[in-house]
Amino acid sequence: MRDLSLHILDLIENSIRAGASIISISVSQDPARDLMEISVEDNGRGLSVPTDVATDPFYTTKEGKRVGLGLSLLREAAERAGGKLTTGKSELGGAAVVATMRLSHLDRSPLGDLAATISSIVCTRPELDLRCRLLNGKRERVVRVSDESRRLGAGERCGLTLARIVAERIREGIAGMGFVE
Amino acid sequence: MGKKIKSVEDLNAIRDGARKGLDLRVSAREMQVTVHMGTCGIAAGAREVLLAIASELGEEGSSKVLLRQAGCAGLCDREPMITVVDKSGVEYRYGKLDGAKAREIVREHILGGRPVAALLIR
Repeated sequence: MRDLSLHILDLIENSIRAGASIISISVSQDPARDLMEISVEDNGRGLSVPTDVATDPFYTTKEGKRVGLGLSLLREAAERAGGKLTTGKSELGGAAVVATMRLSHLDRSPLGDLAATISSIVCTRPELDLRCRLLNGKRERVVRVSDESRRLGAGERCGLTLARIVAERIREGIAGMGFVE
Repeated sequence: MGKKIKSVEDLNAIRDGARKGLDLRVSAREMQVTVHMGTCGIAAGAREVLLAIASELGEEGSSKVLLRQAGCAGLCDREPMITVVDKSGVEYRYGKLDGAKAREIVREHILGGRPVAALLIR
């Protein structure tokens, strides 16, 4: 994977496959602690195995497949940058996947285009309750697709306009956070 | 995990159910376009392909087409891939796409009705 926004897209796809209707994404940077953390939580079926099994590239829940690379690639990206990947249960009722990295680590993957990741989901699944939380020290911004959808009103025929607006909100949010790429 | 298939009848019932669902979804619109967004697809550029298709379709085109996402189609080396199912139910698989190729498929095939032979997976 080229950047973290693609890993996040992969995690969201996992959540959708697990039957989630609420998916909460968080990206935080804490320069004081030299920490970057990304997490995806949902209200889906959840993970029934511990982290070391879930991140085994030869573990998959899909029938007819022998490999499951998504989580193992993210674990590799986290460990490469002095961090780790943990999986567990979310307060939303489903799975929680959290990857930490050293913010200043030379091998840390860049964040990439988070707005494109979220809008690519919104344009085909506008009904999902997607929440995107951005954090940098004390600065915080939350973009909720359902809020934007309500603001847009019933005139909206498909997810395209909604996807465009959500992408703008996330771009504004990231610009206001002062994230390092 | 789905129900265990024990007889031909079970298999037929599953087929009919799936076909019914598909008919419902396809008949309301003209075409169905699926972007394969497994880990392999995402790593190869499926996000850009999906966004290119959505923007090329625009609001008007989107009302005639069912754009959806699915997982890996089993041909990871051909990603990014899309599957187009036309009004008559014929399936077309396109592979090794990028934004520009995806836009061409939208113009020529999805809106124009002419499959793009050079980009089809054989």
